[in-house]
Amino acid sequence: MKPAEVGTPSDREVLIKRSFDASVNLVWQAYTDPALMRRWLTAMPGWSMPVCDMTTDVGGQYRWRWRDDANGVEFGFTGEMLEVEPHSKIVHTQIYDPGTMGGSMGDGASIITVTFNETDGITNVATLIKFASKADRDAAVSTGMTDGMEMSYKQLDEELSVMNTRTPVV
Amino acid sequence: MKRDIFQAIADPTRRAIIALVAIQAMTPNAIAAHFDTSRQAVSKHLRILAECELVQQEQKGREIYYTLEIEKMKEIDEWLEQYRKIWESRFEQLDTLLAELKQQNKKERKI
Repeated sequence: MKPAEVGTPSDREVLIKRSFDASVNLVWQAYTDPALMRRWLTAMPGWSMPVCDMTTDVGGQYRWRWRDDANGVEFGFTGEMLEVEPHSKIVHTQIYDPGTMGGSMGDGASIITVTFNETDGITNVATLIKFASKADRDAAVSTGMTDGMEMSYKQLDEELSVMNTRTPVV
Repeated sequence: MKRDIFQAIADPTRRAIIALVAIQAMTPNAIAAHFDTSRQAVSKHLRILAECELVQQEQKGREIYYTLEIEKMKEIDEWLEQYRKIWESRFEQLDTLLAELKQQNKKERKI
């Protein structure tokens, strides 16, 4: 599948698009079953996802938390399910939980809209992140989780370069 | 008025202008030749890009040339690149999971 496309449809929004070689039925399962969700939503090398509580009931709360297994640092997101249309759409609020990592992503809740669309066995997923205000978006740009992510990726780069220079053990 | 840089790059014409002046310095007329919209509309887009400091104007003889402010563009690019990286990495894990689920469904059907 083609890599994710990231754009800025407006001054307060980030749009992430990606297609998957699977029916919308399976993609929906992976997005709504917490046991499946925690298997792919982590993605930061060396981080685990100790908390993945979520519900698909409108008005229900969810809580995601990630942990850097190397030093125990944690952060997460919490929010409320606003709209759930099976196999088609999920809308939820998202509030940054600084945990022990710190940082801020502004005071307001972002609104996340995920839409699912299947054509010929390929499912297109669009994730729209709408920040509560420009100030919140700027907070997300300058601090918050992006710093942590950048750190993890730098770690990975370093690990990979160490692995590459290491003499293979026969 | 201070324009918002994200607003500036949200517009498809302005994104196309950025792509053009990223390659070489261009006059407003040369830029306008690439679009069906009026020269006036292109000028307005250029003014917004200049207010956001995404492009720079340079006077050469009688002509004004526009060039891309690369550092400014990099700031936004780096931020979006982080989103792309983290999500692509998640999505690759999702690809693997979906392939597994497909396989499981096939087996169940056979039984």
